[in-house]
Amino acid sequence: MTSSAFQSLILPYRQKLYCFAYRLLGNEEDAKDVVQDAFIRVWNNREKMPELQSLEAWCMRITRNLALDRLKSRKYRATDDLDRAGELPAAHQTPLQHAEKSDVMRRVHGAIARLPEKFRTVLQLRDMDGLSYQEIADTLEIGLAEVKINLHRARKQVREQLQNLQVYGIQ
Amino acid sequence: MEYNDIRALLGKYWACESTEEEEEALRVFYAGHEGALPADLQEAAPLFRYFHDCSDVPEMPELFTDRPAPWDEPPAIVRPIWQNWMKYAAAVLVAGGLLYSADSFRDKQSDELAFRDTYSDPKLAYEQTQRALQLLSKNLNRGKTQMEKIGYFSEATEKVQGKN
Repeated sequence: MTSSAFQSLILPYRQKLYCFAYRLLGNEEDAKDVVQDAFIRVWNNREKMPELQSLEAWCMRITRNLALDRLKSRKYRATDDLDRAGELPAAHQTPLQHAEKSDVMRRVHGAIARLPEKFRTVLQLRDMDGLSYQEIADTLEIGLAEVKINLHRARKQVREQLQNLQVYGIQ
Repeated sequence: MEYNDIRALLGKYWACESTEEEEEALRVFYAGHEGALPADLQEAAPLFRYFHDCSDVPEMPELFTDRPAPWDEPPAIVRPIWQNWMKYAAAVLVAGGLLYSADSFRDKQSDELAFRDTYSDPKLAYEQTQRALQLLSKNLNRGKTQMEKIGYFSEATEKVQGKN
């Protein structure tokens, strides 16, 4: 594959890959590094491209693996750093409403962060990145049925935690 | 959107039967709704507002600012033809230098071999040298005796000629 073909076929995915990495890592610098490393890896394995069914899924898979490696190697926790969610106040919100919303967002984030990794990734790919079931299956190299099962369990666990939050005010 | 529609969509969402468009409709509904919601719709509100907030990802930074992208081919450097002669001249000089060095080394080796092969046993060489010098000394002494005799003869000749 030539340089120009690579740039026209692969580089358009960069925004999607960056969003995916950012949500996994919760950090702009790390997300950028991971996307760069992913592109380098894709370039180095470009001879495999003709055999692939979905270039996008392949790029997503590489990005995911690199992000998970980074999370593991640095004992990284993109957990309670939800300042970003709190920094998105609507102009009409009072400081109290803003604080309450930040608190709720932090709790939702915590509920998702506590999911097992395979559930969390499926939930993120579907509900935040907007991938189809087939794209998720291709990205994670699992079957469609497993995608649906994992997603169902992930949503069920999050729902239970939200119900506890709503009824008892606890998680 | 009617609350009943939202309820139906939520039912499909929790059962993982909703389409991407339906899930997007839920996110938009919860993100844009103000005021109180019916109790059964409040449960999912934080989740969809969270999903909506998460769609705001920071702007994509420029990639490969600290190192070159691997697919960026280096620009081809076109040199004028007159610059190439220096390359060939340098190659010829190096080759000439190597030949000269090899030749000098071979000459030096052969000279060293000539000196080295004059003797094999130092003691024998010493005895032979001693014999040669003794022979030379003996012959020189013999020549000196003859020269003394010639000296006597010359002196006698001068006396006879009446130089005295």
